[in-house]
Amino acid sequence: MSVSAAEIFPGGTGGLDVIEASEEIAARSPLQLFSLDIRKDRIAMVSLAFVVFLVIVAFAAPLIVKLLGLPGPYVQNLNLTDEFGSPLGPSGAHPFGVDQLGEDVMARVIYGTRVSLEVGVVGTAIASVIGVSFGIVAGFYRGWVDTLLSRTVDVVLSIPVLLLGLGIGAACAVRGCLGGTISPGTSVIIFLIALVNWTYIFRIVRGLVLSLREREFVDASRALGASNARIMFREILPNLVAPVIVYATLLIPLNILLEASLSFLGVGVRPPTASWGQMIAAATPIFNTAWWYMAFPGIALLLTVLAFNLLGDGLRDALNPRTAR
Amino acid sequence: MRSLRTILAAAVAGALILALAACGSSSSSGSSSSSSASSSGAIPAGVQTPTDESLTGGKKGGTLNVEQNEDYEHLDPGQSYFSLDYDITDATQRSLYSYKPNTFSQATPDMAEGEPTISDDNKLITIKIRKGVHFSPPVNREVTAADEVYALDRIANPNVANPYYLGYLESVEGMKAAKGGPVAGVKATDKYTLQIKLTEPQAGIVVASLVLPFSAPVPEEYAKKFDAKKPSEYVNYMVATGPYMLKADSSGKILGTGYQPGKSATLIRNPNWNASTDFRPAYLDQINIAIGGDANVIGRQVLEGSHMVQTDTPASPVLKLAFQQHRSQLQISPGSGSRYIAINNSNGPFTNVNLRKAFWAATDREALDKLRGGKLVTDIQTHFLWTGIPGFEEAGGYPGPKVDYNEHPQGDMAVAEKYLKLAGYPSGKYTGSETLQVVGDSSPPANNVAEATNETLKTLGFKTKLNLVEHTVMYSKYCGVVSEKIDVCPNVGWVADFGDPQAVLDVPFNGELIVKNGTNSNWGLVNHPKINAAMKAASKVVGEKARGEAWAKIDRELVEEAVVVPYEWGKQPNIESKDVAGVGQLWNTGTWDLSYTSLK
Repeated sequence: MSVSAAEIFPGGTGGLDVIEASEEIAARSPLQLFSLDIRKDRIAMVSLAFVVFLVIVAFAAPLIVKLLGLPGPYVQNLNLTDEFGSPLGPSGAHPFGVDQLGEDVMARVIYGTRVSLEVGVVGTAIASVIGVSFGIVAGFYRGWVDTLLSRTVDVVLSIPVLLLGLGIGAACAVRGCLGGTISPGTSVIIFLIALVNWTYIFRIVRGLVLSLREREFVDASRALGASNARIMFREILPNLVAPVIVYATLLIPLNILLEASLSFLGVGVRPPTASWGQMIAAATPIFNTAWWYMAFPGIALLLTVLAFNLLGDGLRDALNPRTAR
Repeated sequence: MRSLRTILAAAVAGALILALAACGSSSSSGSSSSSSASSSGAIPAGVQTPTDESLTGGKKGGTLNVEQNEDYEHLDPGQSYFSLDYDITDATQRSLYSYKPNTFSQATPDMAEGEPTISDDNKLITIKIRKGVHFSPPVNREVTAADEVYALDRIANPNVANPYYLGYLESVEGMKAAKGGPVAGVKATDKYTLQIKLTEPQAGIVVASLVLPFSAPVPEEYAKKFDAKKPSEYVNYMVATGPYMLKADSSGKILGTGYQPGKSATLIRNPNWNASTDFRPAYLDQINIAIGGDANVIGRQVLEGSHMVQTDTPASPVLKLAFQQHRSQLQISPGSGSRYIAINNSNGPFTNVNLRKAFWAATDREALDKLRGGKLVTDIQTHFLWTGIPGFEEAGGYPGPKVDYNEHPQGDMAVAEKYLKLAGYPSGKYTGSETLQVVGDSSPPANNVAEATNETLKTLGFKTKLNLVEHTVMYSKYCGVVSEKIDVCPNVGWVADFGDPQAVLDVPFNGELIVKNGTNSNWGLVNHPKINAAMKAASKVVGEKARGEAWAKIDRELVEEAVVVPYEWGKQPNIESKDVAGVGQLWNTGTWDLSYTSLK
């Protein structure tokens, strides 16, 4: 018994159309593939949207605070504390409540975004540049260059960064060290982040370069008379972009947490500059009576770290199909 | 590869934050329904104070549990100066004179039999020693004047390293040069008579200082071998003369038995204590002291538990809870020192008296006091001597001297502008180019006071660099170091060693006592020749009233010079369990007196 096409494809002839259309396979660039993959990842897209939101908040903090009708982050008003000096909780005028100095917590959380992003992004960028540069050189040249750089990395990795931060905080607190060059603050935190984190990127890049330098396109380039510098930075470097972006995105939240930790320990960002870690530290002794003071900067920190982590995971999945679910 | 773990972990963390937040929630209105504590030294209704507590009729027996966050610093009577240490030394050692709990200026003869005899030229002090007082085991023998002589000799011993004796005993003949051996001016003329010879007519301050633990007797034949060690090990074996002693093993060793640093201390009754020789009732049988723990937790345990007191300052949320829900378990002891903003009188812009007055005028002292816990535990400071100290009323009492920069505790920018103009800044704002170094304490609530002070300076036009460091670092590396030339130290304070006005004003404000190499306690580098000379003259005055008047005059001059910005007269809060009849003391910072406290 014969059967019709309609019986094979109950949806009508559309099925045949699909087969015909799929026969015309369009070539897609890696960027297009990445774009398609990342768009399908809803969690990564939401995270990206949140990160973009954070960037806007950081850049437009003064405008946002003004639009929301909040006092500035450094405006003290002790009329907003009770007779024991305890801060007042959330209200219409101060949606996140106030701190012990009567400063608006929402305004300070908004301004705290600046510090977190500055430290996270700038620190990671510096670490990435250093790590990629040294990693390419070590992987490409191998031999004593590799040994020297790799042992240096081992030494740097043995530095306890929190203790170093505490030490700098204690020794350089008031007058600074080295003629005032080093004194606690955002720049020192960025320095600490760069100091420690370039090593991780170095190791990843070095490993990849050791493999890439043996590939045919490198041989071809060398046969055409390309210099070592050209091979490293024009041929190999583009192949490192994807993993470095993924790893850097995952480093940003770690660095934000490091800033919060150092500020919590009192050696990070100096008051009155608003920092989430510092706010959480200041809230600790009065947590029982002023939960909002810890909760809102804590939630901001949590969401930011989460967003960067999820975005990093999404980028990794989109850039490397072998790791996709 | 991303898994759900990240999301779940984040969700759990978020939920935890919110759950914790919710469990600690309190009224967001923040305005307490309870009545406000009144200003000017009054204690709110329902709160106890040492002046109205009964010193007699307590129930005998039982064990009291003491909770405290901090540890002791020096329990050796020859060394101790920290208020917490005094809780132990008061109960275990008998100084020549002591304060009963309800007074801060009337010392009672303790190891001394009566008042001292002072020669007409104020250079010779004779004190009769009380008979029938015995040292605790293993010494056991009766205390004599020779034990007082050794106690005073040993404070100059570098191994004992008493940090402050010269401040009060410099005029004792031979004391300045002494290194632990006999001090020429201190002698036992017979078994029960102590004689102190002075090179300057300063009997007033020397006698006043004999309330300090260093005047408690020490048996030479027992202690000398411990004092020969560097540092002295007497503290680990010390004997008691008071009603209690630190528990010791059979060899008399206390360390590890009656005192475990950072963990605990145990006071038991001194078997050789004779009640007929002492005014202390000593109701309790034993006192177990637990050291460490979170101040918030300790406070709640004390308020809701039994047989407990807290001997260090309760955390601010605990204090609020005590006042609102356990008021009968709260005691407030006024006159527990002062806090002020030290401003550099010797370097930088604040050498200009008008700038100092402008800063004083602009400072919202009411706000700073609120940051430190509000009216319940603070009074707005308007001058330097505080309540209970002779000369307080003569110096202006609570309202203080009537000068315009002192009139408005909420801060008065109009007056501040007036003084800025007088200082040579016609715009009413400071326009100098230098950046002021402001060094404060990083722990709350001091850090908030520092930030508020920094804001006031900025409002006046100063450029500032605020640095918050640990409390001890603030004193030992910055505010107490002359060469650092710190411009503003917002978190310094002073607690008098005893109830004499010289003990309040001399060290922090006498330019002659600035320590250039070492730890300096004149944090504002106050050095005004006229005031220095007045202090020298007043130190020779004898008699409580006369001394009060002389030092009150100096107090007014300090206000005239606006040497620092005073903002808080402290009131020490103490908490106890419901079944404890705590008796607080007024002297020093004013914590619980363990020799008078009993169980209900």
